[in-house]
Amino acid sequence: MRRIVIIAAMSATALSTTALHAEPLKIGIIESLSGAQTSTGRLYANAVKYGVERINEAGGFNGEPVVVTEYDNAGGAPDAADKFRKAVADGVDIIFQGASSAIAGQLTEDVRKHNIRNPGKEVIFINLGGDAMELTGQKCQFYHFRYTATAPMRVNAMVSAMKEAGDLGTKVYSINQNYSWGQDMQAAVAAGAQAGGYKVVDEVLHDVNKIQDFAPFVARIKSAAPDTVFTGNWSNDLLLLMKAVGDAGLDVTFATAFLDQPGNIANAGKTALGHYIANNYDNAATDGKFAETYKKATGHYPIFVEGHSAFALGALQQALSKVNFGGGDINVTKIALALENTTYETPLGPISVRKEDHQTIRPVVVSKVVKNPKYPADGTDMGFETVKIIAGDKAIYPVQDSCRMERPKE
Amino acid sequence: MEFAIISTLNGVTYGLLLFMVSAGLTLIFGMMGVLNFAHASFYMLGAYIAYAVSSIFGFWVGIAVAPIIVGLIGMAVERFLLPRVHAHGHAHELLLTFGLALIIEELIKLFFGDFPVNYQMPGGMRFSAFSIFGADYPFYRIFIGGVAAVMFTALWVLLTRTRTGIVVRAAERLPAMAEALGHNIPMVFMFVFGTGAALAGLAGAVAGAFYPTNPNMGIELGVIVFVVVVVGGLGSLKGSLVASLLIGLFSSFAVGLDWSLASLMGLVGLGDWARSLGGLMTLKLSSISATIPFALMLIVLLVRPAGLMGERN
Repeated sequence: MRRIVIIAAMSATALSTTALHAEPLKIGIIESLSGAQTSTGRLYANAVKYGVERINEAGGFNGEPVVVTEYDNAGGAPDAADKFRKAVADGVDIIFQGASSAIAGQLTEDVRKHNIRNPGKEVIFINLGGDAMELTGQKCQFYHFRYTATAPMRVNAMVSAMKEAGDLGTKVYSINQNYSWGQDMQAAVAAGAQAGGYKVVDEVLHDVNKIQDFAPFVARIKSAAPDTVFTGNWSNDLLLLMKAVGDAGLDVTFATAFLDQPGNIANAGKTALGHYIANNYDNAATDGKFAETYKKATGHYPIFVEGHSAFALGALQQALSKVNFGGGDINVTKIALALENTTYETPLGPISVRKEDHQTIRPVVVSKVVKNPKYPADGTDMGFETVKIIAGDKAIYPVQDSCRMERPKE
Repeated sequence: MEFAIISTLNGVTYGLLLFMVSAGLTLIFGMMGVLNFAHASFYMLGAYIAYAVSSIFGFWVGIAVAPIIVGLIGMAVERFLLPRVHAHGHAHELLLTFGLALIIEELIKLFFGDFPVNYQMPGGMRFSAFSIFGADYPFYRIFIGGVAAVMFTALWVLLTRTRTGIVVRAAERLPAMAEALGHNIPMVFMFVFGTGAALAGLAGAVAGAFYPTNPNMGIELGVIVFVVVVVGGLGSLKGSLVASLLIGLFSSFAVGLDWSLASLMGLVGLGDWARSLGGLMTLKLSSISATIPFALMLIVLLVRPAGLMGERN
């Protein structure tokens, strides 16, 4: 009995000494750091770490430096769910993830359930790259924030920019991967036909990153004779498709979402010239100051998803500056509310959160592959030249009817 | 007609590429009974070594050196790793090679980075062999097909028409007897394994310049190569060739055909009803073309468990 009393007394002292220290804000990166999608996952993690360093340089949060931990989800949703539990056990307040909508779908559900079951210990999920519409539709929830552009934003931006440049034509082919993102792209291309003044001559969905030989698809594209091919394909599916079309000597313009993935330009070679991309950020679209700052800290210019992911951390930093817990317990819901009301100025224009579904209203950059650009890609003499920057309020689409967001009681 | 000719052409060249990668796997299993899970990793290794060598000494040196180095690595694996688990049977060999595949993949990422590397065919080979129905047909696809054809002929002649082939086949059938006749069986096995690995390395060196060379190329092709070997019949070289061509042709034709269950129902007047159901009924064949090899494997295994040309054992 006496021993128990001593242990109790000792643990009480231990608890009170920890309470003397302020509670640090903990950030968890649950990303694909091994397996097939490492190349993308690593870049998201780089950008988050860069952003956290900026926050800590400015004095951290709640009187302590922000703590950041990496969790490897090995590219799969089950592993991500597992790592989410681990992150919660480590006391993580905010999680970041970007590679794969499927994993984002798993995490947002996990976060939603966790927050219902653990009031007062909520977790925020900041989605850097899960573009599936359902994440701000059917699955939308208060603690999920999407800091990237979705299919309709990209397609509408590309259609308007390509039409102005006279590169769109009247016949459009739509080829996409057969899962949520590819289906969203296909729907967006079909929906944009009226405004863009084009006709979708054929559309096809194919397996995701399983196809080694795209020649049969090229034969199909050829027989439809389009002017422009819209595709949301990424990784091998984009590269192989582009190479196969180039090898067949077809004269079509590609309108893509992920052409800036490292390695694409070098591997595609001359075939890539003249193709379009709509994305969140491109170095050439800015005055270059952010790119230089990023290079100074990390050793390279921001590539692929690094730029826009760093902006998400910038927005978070701004939101954190609005809340003050005086070194005490961190209230995650208050941070989420502050993030909702944050408008972050990026070199491309402001990014703000739409309260109804937590999709960010953000600028979209449309670029084209040219020779001798300001920022060459992959060590080649080719790279991206900005065609048009679409402001956030022009790029955004209406809130989906399926979104029913339950807000926390205030 | 245009569709049929182009699809056949595409299907055959893709099938020959599949054969090129699976030939080594078939050889190793057929002659040694080892299921080598790391085979596709040897393929990837071949591509990366060819990339590294060719960036200094040129494309052809890369293609010549890659299979030799990969073959030597294969021999080392057979000599130092496999004997330790051989006594425990197939499962342990499979697990060992599976682990090896993971290690090779991470090593590649460590040395060459996560992104696809810029391994290109020489400019002189980047031309169209001929033009068919208004589309160019790249010469390099023909080149890949040619290498595969040469590979098949060479292996076939070696195994069935030469003395070396007799010794190798004897070592597979009756190892004790062949050993008693004075043949160094462990040496023979080491060379068979090395040759199998070298063939994968050659395939990687040739195909890597056409398809992107990236750290995932092993996994991506690895599964399909196993399907080829199983459909063809484990260990049968002819079977592998037939299976590769079948898979190539099936996937090529499937892409152009927008068939669905609904259109099948349409033949008996139930089309509109089926379309209104949606879901599985309207799933187009083209959207599941990459699944066809697996369906083919399922059917072959149900009808002929030993594979198309495999021997029953």
